[in-house]
Parts: sequence; structure tokens; C-alpha cells
Amino acid sequence: MTDHELKLTLAMVVLFLPLLAAVGIGLGARRWRGLSAGLSLGATVIAFVCSLILFIKFHGAPADIVPATDAAFHGIQWLQLGDFSVDFAALIDPLSLLMMLIVTTVGTLVQIFSLAYMRTDAGYSRYFAGLSLFLFSMLGIVLASNLLLLFIFWELVGVSSYLLISHWFEKPAAADAGKKAFITNRIGDFGFLLGILLVWQLHGTLDIIELSNIGAVTTAAGLLIFCGAVGKSAQFPLHVWLPDAMEGPTPVSALIHAATMVAAGVYMLCKLFFLFTPDALVIISWIGGITALLAALMAIQQNDIKRILAYSTLSQLGYMVMAVGCAGPAASMFHLTTHAAFKALLFLGAGAVIYSCHHEQDIWKLGGLRKKLPLTYRAFVTGALALAGFPLMSGFFSKDAILAQAFMANQPLFYLGVAVALLTAFYMMRCVLVAFHGEPRGEAARDAHEAPGEMTGPLIFLSILSIGLGWHFFGLNDFLLNKNIWLGTTITGAVIPNEITHTAHLAAMISGTIASLAGLALGWVAYRGVKQDPLPGMLGALARGMRDKFYFDELYAWLNRWTQERLARYADCFDRWIIAGLGVRGSSGAVDLTGCLLRLVQSGNLQTYALLLALGLLVMLTFFLF
Amino acid sequence: MSPLTYIFGWPILMALVLMAVPRENRSVFRWGAILATLGSLVLALFVFAKFEPINDLTSINHGYAFVQTAEWIPSLGISFHVGVDGVSMLLVLMAALVAFAAACCAGGIKAREKEFSILLLLMTGGILGAFMALDIFLMYFLHELALIPTFIMIGVWGRGENREFAAYKTTLYLSLGALLALVGLIMIYLHYETFNLPEIIHRVQSTQPDLMTTGQQGLIFALLMFGLGILVGLWPFHTWAPLAYGAAPTATAMMHAGVIKKFGLFMIIRVALPILPDGAQQWLPVLAWLCLGNLLYCGLVAMRQRDLNGLIGNSSVAHMGFVFLGIASMTLIGLTGAVMVMVAHGLLAALAFALSGHLHQQARTLDMDKLGGLLTVMPFWGTLLLMALLAGCGLPGFANFAGEITVFFGAWKTMPLITGIAAWAALVIGAVYMLRAARQLLHGPRADDAPHTEDIPGWHKLPFIILLGALLLFGFAPKLLTNKIETARESLEHVVEMYKRK
Repeated sequence: MTDHELKLTLAMVVLFLPLLAAVGIGLGARRWRGLSAGLSLGATVIAFVCSLILFIKFHGAPADIVPATDAAFHGIQWLQLGDFSVDFAALIDPLSLLMMLIVTTVGTLVQIFSLAYMRTDAGYSRYFAGLSLFLFSMLGIVLASNLLLLFIFWELVGVSSYLLISHWFEKPAAADAGKKAFITNRIGDFGFLLGILLVWQLHGTLDIIELSNIGAVTTAAGLLIFCGAVGKSAQFPLHVWLPDAMEGPTPVSALIHAATMVAAGVYMLCKLFFLFTPDALVIISWIGGITALLAALMAIQQNDIKRILAYSTLSQLGYMVMAVGCAGPAASMFHLTTHAAFKALLFLGAGAVIYSCHHEQDIWKLGGLRKKLPLTYRAFVTGALALAGFPLMSGFFSKDAILAQAFMANQPLFYLGVAVALLTAFYMMRCVLVAFHGEPRGEAARDAHEAPGEMTGPLIFLSILSIGLGWHFFGLNDFLLNKNIWLGTTITGAVIPNEITHTAHLAAMISGTIASLAGLALGWVAYRGVKQDPLPGMLGALARGMRDKFYFDELYAWLNRWTQERLARYADCFDRWIIAGLGVRGSSGAVDLTGCLLRLVQSGNLQTYALLLALGLLVMLTFFLF
Repeated sequence: MSPLTYIFGWPILMALVLMAVPRENRSVFRWGAILATLGSLVLALFVFAKFEPINDLTSINHGYAFVQTAEWIPSLGISFHVGVDGVSMLLVLMAALVAFAAACCAGGIKAREKEFSILLLLMTGGILGAFMALDIFLMYFLHELALIPTFIMIGVWGRGENREFAAYKTTLYLSLGALLALVGLIMIYLHYETFNLPEIIHRVQSTQPDLMTTGQQGLIFALLMFGLGILVGLWPFHTWAPLAYGAAPTATAMMHAGVIKKFGLFMIIRVALPILPDGAQQWLPVLAWLCLGNLLYCGLVAMRQRDLNGLIGNSSVAHMGFVFLGIASMTLIGLTGAVMVMVAHGLLAALAFALSGHLHQQARTLDMDKLGGLLTVMPFWGTLLLMALLAGCGLPGFANFAGEITVFFGAWKTMPLITGIAAWAALVIGAVYMLRAARQLLHGPRADDAPHTEDIPGWHKLPFIILLGALLLFGFAPKLLTNKIETARESLEHVVEMYKRK
């Protein structure tokens, strides 16, 4: 078997096994809960093993990277019409190999965790079918070789996210959240689709490899494509869906709304980095920066443990997008990888807390869990430290890389990034102190017991990754810094990903460390041993604004009410009274005809037809004879 | 005899046989209808499989397969002339699928089964024949044969207080549309003195000196576009549609929204575009803007609906906008996309009305405010409805997406603004009303006073599975559709070339 065949075979196994599992569950296995979970988990484990083989074999030592250019396979034609053709093919480059590994690793761990977490759920089989469908769609995004195929899987990811968010569909909040997520994503996808159409018009192809040989043409096309990432990666101004998506089961939040799906936007930006002009990159970096700052501020005043993590995810995604905008896709992917590990860890940790405390999610009603759930506590703290960028944790290295990129490309964004790092450390300290330290403040926290092994196992594994992923030993950073893995950077005039200079590195490391430690210290001072939040007293209206998410939801609801809903109401009225009214009821001649026709219709025989036909013939004959 | 004749002759023959059966034998009518439509379906599948590309317009049959001709009224130049190419083949298959499903779903009819079955079979035979007719008169005649039963069925077996008004309004609108189109067709006949479609097209495309003047073409094209447009629900002549579908019995709504409505579009593609290239040039820009009326305006109206059938009806009108857009783009890609949407929408509309019909049968209401949480009580029905709603908002994996995206690619280069607005309507407005319906009907808690509802039992699931299966099949492998359409490529290209000639 040649390398290409091997790659193709393994990639197809990775892609289609989860789909087969989902279909299998849907067609009949759903009657047996264990079988459903087994099918889904089995498919994911095999996919993980294949991804690992692929990654080890074809990524090899960092210097020995498979050339990205001859890695596309031409598979089945999905659609072919003249000069418009869409091939179903897999583009396997080092970046997709890395992403496949991330997705299948987190997918496996989350499913193991779910075995226990969802055990008593009535929709157990449906849940695993949804997860499998999601993995299929997500891996499709990772492997898609052209933009339309990418868009197709993009949409499928959106729908599997919809299904999983509204898993507990009887709960109005969950059903609403699913709907909101889908529609908000659709707004981003609208821009994405126009971007694809524009790229097709300007470049004459949608094939990613071919596009990478042409490079960026216009700022507009790049920005339209970016719209897709704004929706899926929940960037400002379409960030509103992600916090609501926390209505879904917590393992879903870990897999989809922290580690993988929301990272798809960032992954796409990195993969299509060559499509963006310098102007587009500036806008992208600012959108990312604004998202990072806004979300970090909102996270400070949230009380629901999952919502704190959700806003932190928003903020970190903003970081990654900012890094891409600062011409640092390598830093972005680095942070994406470490974030996948420590954010999945935090969410699963939160899941273990929620499981142990009878679905209590308000951190002010928890407290004292440090002693009741020692393992979960340690795992959660590990994740929190990694997220806060504590020195030598994985998040420290990746955050440094991003700050260094910003330092070189855009100084204001560098300071913004440092501020966000400080805020991040602060709110994570708040979360840990309030939820785990002090005395239990509620019934649920008092009778908490450590979760079973299916849940703590993944926590331990993810803790190790959260600590070590950034270390030189893993080689992740070196792997990403190799220029050969980026498509299209060899053509003339392309924006080359920045190489981090020594000064930038130093500046980032020092300021990042100070910000992280200062944030943690501030959090320790403000929240140690408190019974209620001291911040509202200190900040007043600002704290209220943070708690109420700066009123974006209200603003959008108002906008929607006054634009689209209002238009719909006008259209409906117009339809009812003007068109329908004038068209039929208005003219008296019509009324006469009405009675006549109505009688014919009511008689229920075929004479009507004969009459009309005769009428037609009459008209025809008149014409003919005339 | 060509198998095509059997496909549409078989249901009509069965209708004639059933006329002789005493009305006491109730099950005979029901099973007769199912059997006859099944026969057509099997034959249509056979023809679909056997169909071989004939991309040679110079051949004796002008690129049509399974041709059969016989003299009918020679003095008027009317003949019995049937044949299919890639485009009509797909519509015949879709129509046969929907007809079989509709016959299976007609179980809710508990009065005058005899007449209902006979009308349903006439309808089926008529519309199947209309798609394969190559004689303009025969085409029109067979379409009328399918259309008239619609009015009667709404009036007699319809539901709701509005059914008489709905029946009369529908009759009025559709008869007017059909008459306008008839006038246009007769004007074509008077010019070419034949109803033989391939012959007329051949004469137009070989640009013989007897071409119509641009003024004549413009007039006739307008008559056809608006006449046929009314039949399809072209904005602003669409208000009959939601009303009619709200009142029509399930099988009728499935047949009309799914299949019969496609005839207007089919005739524009088959007759108006090739015969009247200069007229098309004058009017297609207008059509391009009117299609936004369907997509955007009817989409917005659908957002306001509280009744499931009102929503499906309006969304079905809105989806016609994609077909109009594909036609107005006048590119090979756009026209192909239009045909794909026609097939996909036919299957989807039938599925959606079948599902709403089941709900109405169970709950006696389709008011979305009074229902909720149905996914728990009716898991099969609920899952299917969710899939139908997602297909309706253009989710990849369903045939609709493949068609819509193709239309966008066809229309983008020449009409970026209109395509952009259409994409907003498709991606955002479509998602808003479809997911609202899902949220209201399927999700959320069940109301205490909610009516008792039961899931679709046993073999009654079959028509639903067939329709959904076809949607998924064509969605995952749209090449099955485009391969067939490709065989008509040369004639479509001719049409496009004629259009762009000036």
C-alpha cells in the first residue's frame, strides 16, 4: 500500500465510521442503550487510533513534514456541471492531521465521560447518535478539500450542534438556545456563502490547493469568508449564541462548545490564511481582540459555573482569531490545541461538579467542594491554571506565542491581550475560590460525592495534557512553526506568517507572567473567604453591565423586532388585506363569477372540467377561424 | 408502445375501471389507487434506469427518448406525441413517487371514497402525461385533466370553514392563469401552425426566416410567464396557495404542491424559453426581481404564520423563488439548479403536507400555539417533521440544498445583488420560520389540554420513508439528478445560446 492509499484509507475510516455509528443508532440500535453508546464510542476510538497512526506516520519529526501540495486526493464527484464541479475529496496536510487528532481525542474522552454522566437520561441513544453525527461533520470540515464541501460540513456541524444543545428539548430554555445558536450561525454562514460565491467568481475554482496557488485577491472575499468564522467561533458581534448553548448537556459543551466546533472557525482561518489580504487581517485581528476583551469582562460577573467557562471560551477564541489577524496562524493553532485540552478539562470538571451536586450550577450555592471532590478539584485547578497562563502550564506557552505575535503586528492589541490575560486569571481564581473553597453554601454541595471512574479518568488524562502540551518535549510548537505546513505561503506576494523575534518573545513572556500572577493574586485577595460577591459594590453599574452581558441580547432582540419582525408583520398584513383583498373580494365581477364557479365546484362532478375544456376549445376555435 | 404511455395511461385506465365498481366496496377504491400509482412508479423507475443519454438533437426524435406518436386531430395539427429527456424524466419519476405516497396517505378520506380515488387517479395520470407530452396541446390538455380535480377535491373533501372560499379562490386564480397561458400557446400555434413542440423548437433554433418578431415574442412570453406564474404562485399572484393547501385534503395538497404546481415551471422551461428567446430577454429581468417577492416576501409572511399548513404553504411558495431565480439566470448551471429544486421541492412539499395531514387527523388542529412537545409523544412523526423542516431551510444532505446552491452558483455572476438577497432569504429567513415551527410543535413542554395524538402506525410509515429516502438519496448524491439533466444539456445549451445571441 502506498503512502497515499494508506492516507486515503485511514482518513475515510476516520471520517465515515462516526457517520455509520450515527446511522446505525438511528436505524435500530437506539433500542439498546448500551449498544448505541458502544457503537458511538467504538467508532470514535477507532477513528482516534487511525488519526494517531496518520499523525505519527505522516507528521514524523517536525522537519520531515509531508509536503502539503501533493496531499490532495480526488475522490468522488459530488456535483459536476460545466465549469462548476465539486469533488468529494480529502485534503490531508499536517494541519488537518493535527486537528483530526484533537477532535478524536477529545471526542473519545467526552464519550467515556458521558457514559456515566448521561446514564439516567431517557434520550441516551439519541445523545450518542448526535455526538457521532457531530464528529462526522467536524471531521468533514477538517478534511474538506474545497470550499463548498467545507460549507456543507459547516452546516452539518451547525445542525448537530442544534440537536445537541436542544437535547433536553422539553425544557423551553434548551429548545430556545438550540434555535438561537442555529439562526445566529446561519447569519454568519450567509456571509460565508457569499464569500464562496465571490471566490468562485474571482478565482474560478473552489479547490483549496488551487486557491492556495493563487493567493489573496480581494479584501472583500476574505472578510466574507471570515463571516463564517465569526458565526461558528462566536466572535463579536455574533457571540450571543455560545453562552446560551450551555443549556446542552455538559459533555456536549466540553466537546462542541469549547474544544472543537467553536474552534472550527479558527481552524478555517488558519487553513485559508493565504486568502486574507493585510487589510482583511487587520479587521480580523480587531474583531478577535474586541471579542477577547468583552467576553473576559462578562465572565467576571457570571455566577453559573458553565457560563463562566462559556465566556472564557469566547474570550480565548477571540485570542486565537486575534493571533490569526496578527499574521500568526501558528500561535493560533498552538493555542487552539492547548485550549482544547484545558477547556475540555474545565468543562468536564464542571460536569463532574454538576453531576455530584444534583445539577446545581450556581457557584454561590456550591463551595467547600475541595474536600468533597478532591480529584475533581485538582483537575479543575489544573485547567484553571493552564487557562490563566500560569508559568510552565500549556496555556502559558500558547498565550505567550499569541502575545508575541500581537507585539510585533499591533501594539495596542498587545496591551489589550495582556489586559485580557489578567482578567482571565482573575475570573478563574474567582471561580475556583467560590466554588471549591470555603464552606458549603447549599444542600447540594454538602452531600457531594466524587464522580465515578468513567468521569474522573478523562479528567486525569486531560490534566496531564493541560500541563504538558506546551512543553518542548511534545514538539507541538516546533511542528507548527515549520513554514511548510502552511498552504500558499510560498507564492510571491503572500502574507507570510510572522516569525517571532527575540524581543517580542521576551516582552510577551514577562508581561504575560506578570499579568497572570497579578490576576490570580487580585482574585485571591478579592474572593478569599467571601460569602457574596464584593465586585458589584465596588464597580456599581459596570458590574451590572458585565453580569447582563452588556445588553447585547436585548439590543439584538430590539433590532430584530424593529427590522425583520416588523417587515414580516407588514408583509403579512399586506398579504392578507391588500393582495388577497383586492385580488378577489374587491371586484364585483369576480364575485359573480364566484357564485357560478362555486356552484359548479360543489356539485362535485366532472362537468366543471368539461365546461372549462369546452371554453378553452371555444377560445381556440375563435382564434383559429379569425 | 412506449412505456411512457403505460406510465400515465395506467392510472387513467384504473380510474375508468373504478367507475364501474359499486361504491360499497370501499377498500377496492383505496387499494386500486395504491396499486395503480405503484404500477406507474415501478414503470417510471424502469424508464429512469433504462434511460440512455441521447445528446443528438439532429436525430429523428430531437433528443427525446421513448418517443411515441399517433395522429389525434390532424386537422388542427394536434397529435398524441410523448417522449422524455433528462429534465422531464426526473419530473416523471418525482411525480410517480409523490403520487404513490399520496395514494397511500389518502386513508383519511372517509366519505365518497369512490370519487376521491377516481379523481386522484385522473390527477396522477394527467400530470404524469403532461410532463412527457411533446405536443403543446396534449401537454395543456393533460395538465387541465390534473388541475380540475384539485378544485373539486378541495370543495368536497376539504377541511375547515374556509374550504368553499378556498376552492373558489383557487379555481379563479388557477383558471385565470391557465387561460392566459392558453392564449399565449394558441398565439404560438397560430404562428407555427403546429403543436409539435420539437418541430417548433427546431424551427426557432435553426433561425428560419419565419421567426416571430420581438414584439410578438414579448407579448406571448408575458402571457406565458404570468399565466404559468399564477399556476406556480409567482409573487404577487401567490395568495391562493396557502389558502388552498390549508383547506385541501392531504393527498390533494401533496399532489398539487408537490407535482402539479411544477407544471407551470416545466412549461416555462420547456416551451417559453426555447420558443421565445427574444421574449425571454425582455421579461426574465422582471422575473428575477419578482422571484425576490417569493423568496423574501413570502418567507417573511411564513414567519408570521400560526398554522402549520399556512407555514408550509407559504414556504412552499417561497421555495418557488429558487426555481424562478434559476430560470432567470439563464445559465446552464442555473437551469440545472432550477430543475433540481423542482424535483427536491416536489418530494419535500409532499412529505411536509403528508406529515401535517397526519397531525391534523390526530389533533384536529394545526394551530401551533395549541400544540407542543410532540417529539415525545410521536417520535417517528416528530423526527420526520424535524428533518423535513431542516430540509426546507436548505440543510446539506437533503436534495433541496444541492438544488439551491446550484441555483446560487448559476445566478451569482450575472445577478450578485439578487442572489445575495435570495441567499439571505434561504439561509436566515428560512431558518427562522422552520426552526420556529420545530420549537413550537416538537420542542417544549406538552400543554395539559393538548389533544391526544398517536404516532404513524406500521406500514403507514412507508410513504413517508420513501419520500424522505428520496430526498436524502438525491441530497447525498445530487449527481443522480445532474447526470440525467446533463443528457438534456445540448438542448439547454441551445436555449441559453439563443438567449445570449444578441
